[in-house]
Amino acid sequence: MTDVTTAPADEPELDDDVEGRSAPFWQRLVAGSSTWIGLILLALILVFSVLEYDSFVSTANARNIATDAAVLLVLATGMTYVIITAGIDLSVGGVLVFSGVVSAKAMHAAGGDNWGVIFLGLGVALAGGLAWGLINGFLVAKAKIPAFIVTLGTLGMSLGAALVISGGVDEREVPFKLITTIGTGRAFDQVPYLVLIAFAVAIVFGVILAATRFGRHTYAVGSNEEAARRAGVPVDRHLIKVYALAGTLAGLAGFLSLARFSTTTIGGHDTDNLQAIAAVVIGGTSLFGGIGTMLGTVFGVFIPAVLQNGFVIVGVNPFWQNIAVGAVLIGAVYLDQLRRRSQYRR
Amino acid sequence: MPEPLLEARGIVKSFGRVQALRGASFAVNANEVVALVGDNGAGKSTLVKTLAGVHQPDAGEILFEGEPVEIHTPLDARRLGIETVYQDLALAAELDAGANMFLGREVMRPGVLGRLGFIDKQAMRVQSRDAFRNLGVALQDTAAPVATMSGGQRQGIAVSRAVTWASKVVFMDEPTAALGVVQTRNVLDLIARVRDQGLAVVLISHNMPEVFEVADRIEVLRLGTRVARFKRGDVSMGDVVGAMTGAITHDEVDRPEAEPRNQKRTHPPGPDAPRR
Amino acid sequence: MARRTWIGAACAAILALGVAACGSDDNSSTSSGSSSGSSSSSAKKNYKMTLIAGVKGDEFYITMNCGAQAKAKELGVTLDFQGPDKFDAGLQTPVVNAVAAKKPDAVLVAPTDTKAMYAPIKQLSDNGSKVALVDTTLEQSDFAVSQIASDNEGGGKQAAKTLGELIGGSGKVFVVNVKPGISTTDLRAKGFEEGAKEAGLTYVGQEFDDDDPSKAAAVTKAALAKNPDLKGIFATNLFSAEGAATGIREAGKLGQVKIVGFDAGPKQVDDLKKGTVQALIAQKPAEIGADGVQQAYNALTGKATEKQIGTGFTSLTKDNLAENPDAVYKASC
Repeated sequence: MTDVTTAPADEPELDDDVEGRSAPFWQRLVAGSSTWIGLILLALILVFSVLEYDSFVSTANARNIATDAAVLLVLATGMTYVIITAGIDLSVGGVLVFSGVVSAKAMHAAGGDNWGVIFLGLGVALAGGLAWGLINGFLVAKAKIPAFIVTLGTLGMSLGAALVISGGVDEREVPFKLITTIGTGRAFDQVPYLVLIAFAVAIVFGVILAATRFGRHTYAVGSNEEAARRAGVPVDRHLIKVYALAGTLAGLAGFLSLARFSTTTIGGHDTDNLQAIAAVVIGGTSLFGGIGTMLGTVFGVFIPAVLQNGFVIVGVNPFWQNIAVGAVLIGAVYLDQLRRRSQYRR
Repeated sequence: MPEPLLEARGIVKSFGRVQALRGASFAVNANEVVALVGDNGAGKSTLVKTLAGVHQPDAGEILFEGEPVEIHTPLDARRLGIETVYQDLALAAELDAGANMFLGREVMRPGVLGRLGFIDKQAMRVQSRDAFRNLGVALQDTAAPVATMSGGQRQGIAVSRAVTWASKVVFMDEPTAALGVVQTRNVLDLIARVRDQGLAVVLISHNMPEVFEVADRIEVLRLGTRVARFKRGDVSMGDVVGAMTGAITHDEVDRPEAEPRNQKRTHPPGPDAPRR
Repeated sequence: MARRTWIGAACAAILALGVAACGSDDNSSTSSGSSSGSSSSSAKKNYKMTLIAGVKGDEFYITMNCGAQAKAKELGVTLDFQGPDKFDAGLQTPVVNAVAAKKPDAVLVAPTDTKAMYAPIKQLSDNGSKVALVDTTLEQSDFAVSQIASDNEGGGKQAAKTLGELIGGSGKVFVVNVKPGISTTDLRAKGFEEGAKEAGLTYVGQEFDDDDPSKAAAVTKAALAKNPDLKGIFATNLFSAEGAATGIREAGKLGQVKIVGFDAGPKQVDDLKKGTVQALIAQKPAEIGADGVQQAYNALTGKATEKQIGTGFTSLTKDNLAENPDAVYKASC
């Protein structure tokens, strides 16, 4: 590393070219944080393909894996933003259930089986998620309560509110049209709408994260909140927006889950928060903030999904599966950390 | 006598039970380098942060170009043309040099994309690279996170950032603390160049030789108030240190000519001296 | 240097994963080479079946698996066992999907929701697997070769009769149920309510515990607080019975409130011996499992199948436990 010199004319060549474009694509790819996680995912797919080719490698199976992962991908998209700001959101599972419940109740109350009712349901679900997200954001940004505590509290509150509203009983009356279109329908008879929607969400918010001021401020706040504040970044407002986004996406996830299962599945989301956090962290996002990509999150969502699918196909004892998934999680993150540490000085 | 570009009068600031500033005052003019010195805990960083909008004073007033102003946020200070190099550098370690340079002032893409919020990373990288080059900061890869750079490079980036954006006043809090001999030289030269361009530079430093090399005036803070003001040519290092520790107090009213040395002990305490 | 060790570690980890996957498949077919259902020349074909439980850690399903494994061995069939972490359609669906990819010859499955599991399970049938619904069932089940379950409504009625006898013919009774949408427990609660009416008992209602013993304990204590003169409780499944017993114990009403539970897992039998629970309606999960394998085998070999099979119960009390050792569920085969 060269130091500050007195004569600008003597400085060494920079890696950038004259116009300021960054290092060539292949160089960035090799050094890219998501690349290695992508390779691990590829390796897992290869291993399972070799072990059980006929079963594992088929469009139907790929479609199933993608559909199973779709709702988690939507959750993990919001979680990526939150964790990049060095925060955390434990409430996503509860907000998902809450949004599904209020959406189902609203659609049931409105009655009918048409797009109008479906859009009403979507709106209610998003509004429910947004409300919890705003609560999280205000408490974290303004009241300065640690995010872990705030979102642990709202997890309980949102789930409790869902139980109160639903009477503890799954709402199983969902407009049939919703189930047949978004829930189980496919575009071009091949790609499930759920998967399309989830990927659209990941792409849109991935682009925002990578290429807009909002995204850059997210990284800045996570990397050094005080520095961002001193540079004039509206930190409090930004944090509120980030948590509101995570909440809204949890609301969308609740709506999608409702469409898929035609029931609110209140009891099945207890570990959603940890799964989303695991997906984001496997994808290379640092819990300390400032680092992460949406592409990494996508890989991180699919690694556990592929593992679970592969284990069942290969016939691993179901009680061993939990252990194996946990071990792979630790292993993948450890390898990523090794790579990172070799880069950094501090 | 032109009024000072930036002036603080009687600033009081407490943190809980600790009173960091007890009626501190300060003034700097355009085209001038003022060194703000004092022992540890004198309140130098606090005073700078107050003038930079990071802290809000409990009492006292701030005047900019003669007019009273309120500096509630860093943005307010920025809008007045005040930039700061903080002691902790205030860099986002995971962001690259260009991103740090333009933090809070991102360059948007032209047209519709810009209105939607898309930033022009290439433009920022090019402009920051040019700024670094002009100021003598050499970086191998401007796309690398700042965390991968040496302490000297990081300090260079922080200094470049403040100098590039400042239009009126630049505060530098211990800007050479992490630097080696050659790098320090560059920063001192840079300070002089910035002053010559017409800005006001406020330098906080523990390093007396540096202060004496580059400062035009020296203001001494002790226990939260200003206890002395010197013109550099009129005073010795020992006297400055004496003022810092409370051995002597001195105030100087701006005169067109330099005062002879033997006057430094006979002036009565000025209005800024602490009452005992 | 760090990069090289990193790549080496990655390869080692992946290799280890592969070895672990190969090595740890209990209860499953050997995965050497692909199995593409070609008919062999020998008369008896080694069919591959999978049993998908409602929840994997429940002794009811473990016992079912034991019975199914025994029958599978007898018929020369290999049987794999899978299940979700919790009794929930959202968690069972990925498991069913993965099994569908394997295209086994037959699948025995206990659906966790009568509506939500229709599409994933139908997929199994569409892929060519013979589907037998064990224990729980679906609202639409025509594609299944057989449905095997206990006569749950009858069992519920039996429980009401038993509870009535225990509390002396009259008094308030309460139901701790799992959640609506499960065919078996819905029927048990329904049967109990009718039976309670017939027996002249005062039915005060039911609460749901989402198949979670701690929730079951909580709703039990709440019911006791609301009805201090409550005399009897009917718990509709294993986890509910476990939780209800805990709730009674924690409320200090041991012996004063009688419990009749459904299912006879080791913990329930323990409670029975200690006197926390007074009677257990034990199903015959091993028989359900064996019947499921048999029916699937029949379907595969072109023999006749029975569309509906109802298995029976054993009423267990402290006194007749010794005579019915097989009625108790197992925690492992």
